Amino acid sequence: MKNKLFEKYFVFSPYFWLVLFFFIPLAIIFKISISVSEWGMPPYQDIFLFDNGFKINTTFENYVYIFSDYYYIGSFVNSLILALISTFFCLLIGFPLAFYIATSNIRLRNILLVLVVIPFWSSFLLRVYAWKIILQNNGILNVILLNLGITSEPLQLLYNQYAVIMGIVYTYLPLMILPLYGYLNKFDLNLIEASKDLGLNRTKTFFKVILPLSVPGIVAGSLLVFIPVVGEFIIPEMLGGSDRLYYGKILWEEFFVNRNWPGASALAFSGIIILVLPIVIFQILYSRWSQKNEI
Amino acid sequence: MYNNFLVIENISKSFGDNKVLENINLNISKSEFFGLLGSSGSGKTTLLRILGGFEKPDTGRVILDGMDITNLEPFDRPLNYMFQSYALFPHLNVFNNLAFGIKENFTKKEIEINVRNISELLSIEHLLNRRIKQLSGGEQQRVALGRCLIKKPKLLLLDEPLAALDKKLRSKTQLELTTLQKKLKITFVFVTHDQEEAMSLSDRMAIMKNGLILECSSPEDIYENPKSLYTANFIGIANIIEIYKKGENFYSDDLGINFKLNKELKNTKTNILLRPEKIKIQSINNLKTSSFNSFSGEILEKSYLGSFTRYEIKIKNMIISVLDQNFNSNSNYNFPKGEKVICSWESESIKVLED
Repeated sequence: MKNKLFEKYFVFSPYFWLVLFFFIPLAIIFKISISVSEWGMPPYQDIFLFDNGFKINTTFENYVYIFSDYYYIGSFVNSLILALISTFFCLLIGFPLAFYIATSNIRLRNILLVLVVIPFWSSFLLRVYAWKIILQNNGILNVILLNLGITSEPLQLLYNQYAVIMGIVYTYLPLMILPLYGYLNKFDLNLIEASKDLGLNRTKTFFKVILPLSVPGIVAGSLLVFIPVVGEFIIPEMLGGSDRLYYGKILWEEFFVNRNWPGASALAFSGIIILVLPIVIFQILYSRWSQKNEI
Repeated sequence: MYNNFLVIENISKSFGDNKVLENINLNISKSEFFGLLGSSGSGKTTLLRILGGFEKPDTGRVILDGMDITNLEPFDRPLNYMFQSYALFPHLNVFNNLAFGIKENFTKKEIEINVRNISELLSIEHLLNRRIKQLSGGEQQRVALGRCLIKKPKLLLLDEPLAALDKKLRSKTQLELTTLQKKLKITFVFVTHDQEEAMSLSDRMAIMKNGLILECSSPEDIYENPKSLYTANFIGIANIIEIYKKGENFYSDDLGINFKLNKELKNTKTNILLRPEKIKIQSINNLKTSSFNSFSGEILEKSYLGSFTRYEIKIKNMIISVLDQNFNSNSNYNFPKGEKVICSWESESIKVLED
């Protein structure tokens, strides 16, 4: 009996975690997003007022405010584009790497896996800062380029969207490689040989056999990169310039600089809904598809 | 004697310090069903993979139908390879697995006709819309075979074609495979570790050990006249007896009896092979032991195998296996455990082993 009870609670512990650290904070954000802002601490009014009897004090003006100003929508679109481009490059670099790791012998494989994970051992902030040092006007890269005579004056490598994409691809690459590796590791290499034996060259074998069978790994890795990149704040802040505004930065400014908590919350909540809903729908469709195709 | 359809010339292959194949030479005829038999680590699969183009040999050449294919990629070779695991594509149904290799060069209609023909040949036409996971092992084997045969290869390589099937299905498939091969007249080269499988499928077979081909001949010849001690032991049940020259005849210390051979020997000391079914077993009451090619011993173990009874007979320091055919149901023919019997054989049945 005791054991069963333990099992029951053990199974429920992840749900407990989810409720405590995901749904409750989300509910709080939603609550703030529909409250009326004011000067003070906290900078919003309660949604339930008991002054002269009970009164519900909510507003959707914060949402109207966000969606009527292209400043906010534009930054979100910028972030989506950034996430798409970064995911694409992570996949482009990560797939061959993951495939190479998965098909190499066990000793080399372990070394390579450690190399993929090693960056996690140092602070994320430090690593992005290191890129700043490498890319700055009198940084290593520019010094090398100048000394080789490739350029006559330092290139402006920092503070633009390309530096941001590079920083994100660099930081998120392991998150693409690891799930891909986990999937490709189980790949039956005989299938590749069978395809070649049946007359398909390397390119055709890749598109007809390797790629279709890697879809689950690609989906897992891409979601793992795409979702956090949309809200990424640190990298655009440190490496990016004023040429493009991103969602994470706008959110941060709205909250800390403008002290518009309801507006920031509305922005955050809209972002979650816009991002999560399509992904949930995609996941449902995808799981149906993969069940049908037995992948 | 062989028409040089598939010529394997001086093939050697090492993985690091490990010599897997050493100077392999084979000549295989068109439409031959050829078996490569060996235990694991004998190099047989590596040789097959070299033929398929998945490994490059360190030295030597492979010539198929007059064309040197040694350096061709697998997708440029006019042959196909059936994998032990079948390697069917899990993301495609049976139809698309069968059509996989012909999709590029054929029109949609031609593909359909070809798939229909091959699936009728292998009686899998009812499976075309199935997914691979919905197939039994036997059905998967047929699809794998069909996927290769649809390409009309000059040569089909089969890696342990029946190993993944259960015993009953295996003997049925064995028969089907031979019938199919004779009908299509495609050259088959297959690898197996199962000596019975090799014997029943092959027109000719090569015995491999440690990267060398020990013998290459018909199954009958290899069973009846093996040259080496290894082959004699590997194929069937073997009684191996060491004999040496003593006066006119030969003598075995282990059995304490004389042997009479019908041919001269180079060496004064040698190993001979006596197959268990060549030994006649008789009751001791009926006759006396002859001075050669016979002994009396005691039945130590007995196992009834249906058409045969296998006896283990102890004489002096050795145990000799004897297979006695159960001619009729008269129990007089069956000797009980512990009984003394006389065993004898013809001089022709004694096979001298070279090493």
